[in-house]
Parts: sequence; structure tokens; C-alpha cells
Amino acid sequence: MWARIVEFMLACWLALSPFVFAHRSDATLLWTSDLTCAFLVALFSLLSFNQRLNKMHLGNLLVAFWLIWVAFSWEFPHEKAIQNNLVLAMLFLMLAIVPSESHLPPRPWRTFLKEKEDGKKT
Amino acid sequence: MAKVYNPSKWGPRVAICLVAAIPVPIATYMGLFQWGLIDSFWDPFFGKETEGVLKSELSHEMQDIIRLPDAILGAVAYIGDIIFALAGSNRRWFDRPWLVALFGLDVIPVSLVSATLVFMQAFVVHSWCFLCLVTACFSLVLVLLSYDEVFASITFMHRVWKRSRSKRVVWNTFIGKPSKLAYEIAREIEKNGRKS
Repeated sequence: MWARIVEFMLACWLALSPFVFAHRSDATLLWTSDLTCAFLVALFSLLSFNQRLNKMHLGNLLVAFWLIWVAFSWEFPHEKAIQNNLVLAMLFLMLAIVPSESHLPPRPWRTFLKEKEDGKKT
Repeated sequence: MAKVYNPSKWGPRVAICLVAAIPVPIATYMGLFQWGLIDSFWDPFFGKETEGVLKSELSHEMQDIIRLPDAILGAVAYIGDIIFALAGSNRRWFDRPWLVALFGLDVIPVSLVSATLVFMQAFVVHSWCFLCLVTACFSLVLVLLSYDEVFASITFMHRVWKRSRSKRVVWNTFIGKPSKLAYEIAREIEKNGRKS
């Protein structure tokens, strides 16, 4: 679950970014994009803690692609804001593919190995 | 108890994380200089040559394309090495081969390309940069530390293909679905090593 915690912390930074990089107050689309992306990343990461929704973190891939698209196609007040979003997008891309219970084997393998062990015992 | 071959055990993976963690601040330091957030750059051997490398035309051209200083991209790549080294169980070479493949793609080709680019700087930019060389050396060490696991996973997948001749079985094994065949091959490699 460490990947989800890191994603959540990065989402908090993304939410602060428009203030830190001083987006113009009339750049409504940029504010909306950054804050919505931050909300979605935090949401997907937190939902992944639920067993039934533990693949929700894959939604962060879409957010990362959106951030990359925005960085290459929209106008930002200054270059640093683009670069901040790009770095975050790359980190989201890498973290989103880390499974929630990544320290354990995938569930089908766990079941398979348990059956094998039970079979050996009996 | 017989020794079991396991290229995904935590010891070597934590070592990879530690080795990858060293060039992250170095690359970030270079990135801060490229960003203009620090005025001068420390280099014990090549002095002002380093600044020439980091602010070269080639570096500016790359920044126009990727929109990031190349050193920052390098720092992100090293963080990626840490993320992918930490992800997965201590048997991931057979229970999540896709993850090992991603790890391999992040470490081996990226490190080799970046190291080659750094060593080529003398011929293109006609200057040297000590810290760039240090990070390139770390990249090569990362390749050495990670290749065993990546090749174990490739060997495993190759044997699954050789014995099943089924794209479906290979795909299912790759994405982490178990099968009797995959289990038997994994046990065989654990017992005899990947070179057997």
C-alpha cells in the first residue's frame, strides 16, 4: 500500500501547486485541471485501500496522461508549472501500475500455492 | 535444507534501491543548476567545463522537446528504478513477470542509453562533467545488479513458451495467472538456477 500513500502525498502537492506556481486568477481551466486531478488521484488512491476497489489506482494512469497532454498543449503562466506537472505525471504513471498489495503474490497465485501446500499436507 | 535460487529476494532489491538513491540528489543538483535556481556548479576536476555541458546547446534542444531539464528526467528515472525495485513479492520473477519486465525496461535500456550519452559528451559537447560521469557509473552498477532477476524472468517465460507453445498460456503467466506448468518451471529454476 506504500504506493497509494505516496500517490496521496503527491496529490496533496498537486493541489498546492496552483498556489505555489501562482496561476493567474483568470486561468480558470488550469486551476480546475490541477485541482480536479489532485482530487481524483487522492480519491483513486484512497479507494484502493478497499479490498473490492483495490484496482482503482489504475485510474491514476488516466490522470497522468491528462496532465502530460495539458503540459504539452495548454499555455501556462510560466515554464515551472509545466515542469512540475510533468514530473508529477511521470511519477503517477510509475506508481499507478504498482499493485496495491504488491508485497504479496497476486491473489490467484496465493490461492494456487495454498492449494498446493494443503495438497502436500493431506 | 537445499539452497533455493531466488533472484527476487529482498536483499539485492534493497541494494538496488540504495544504489539508485545516490544519483537522485546528484541529478537533482544538476537539474537545479539547469533550472537556474543555483548560480554555480561544483566540480572538483573539470571546473567550468561542467557548466558548459549542463548549459550546452544540446541540453537546451532536449529541454525544448521534453520540456524538462535532462538532469531532472534522469532523477525521475532513478526514482522509477527505486519504485519498480520495491514493487512486487519476493517471488515476483515468476508471480508477476510483467512487473520484472517493466523494471528491466526502466533499468537496463534506459541506464545503458543514458550512460552512453554521458560518455559521448566529450565528442559532442567537447567538455566533461564529473557528476554526470558519476551518475553514469551508478547507472551501469544498476544494470549489473538487476540483470539476474530480469534474465530469470525471461528464462522462465521462454520455458513456459517452449513447453506450452500456447500464446494464451504465455500471456496468462506474464500477467500473473498461475498454472501447473508455470509452477513446475518455477520450481525447476528455483532448484537448478536459471542457467540449467
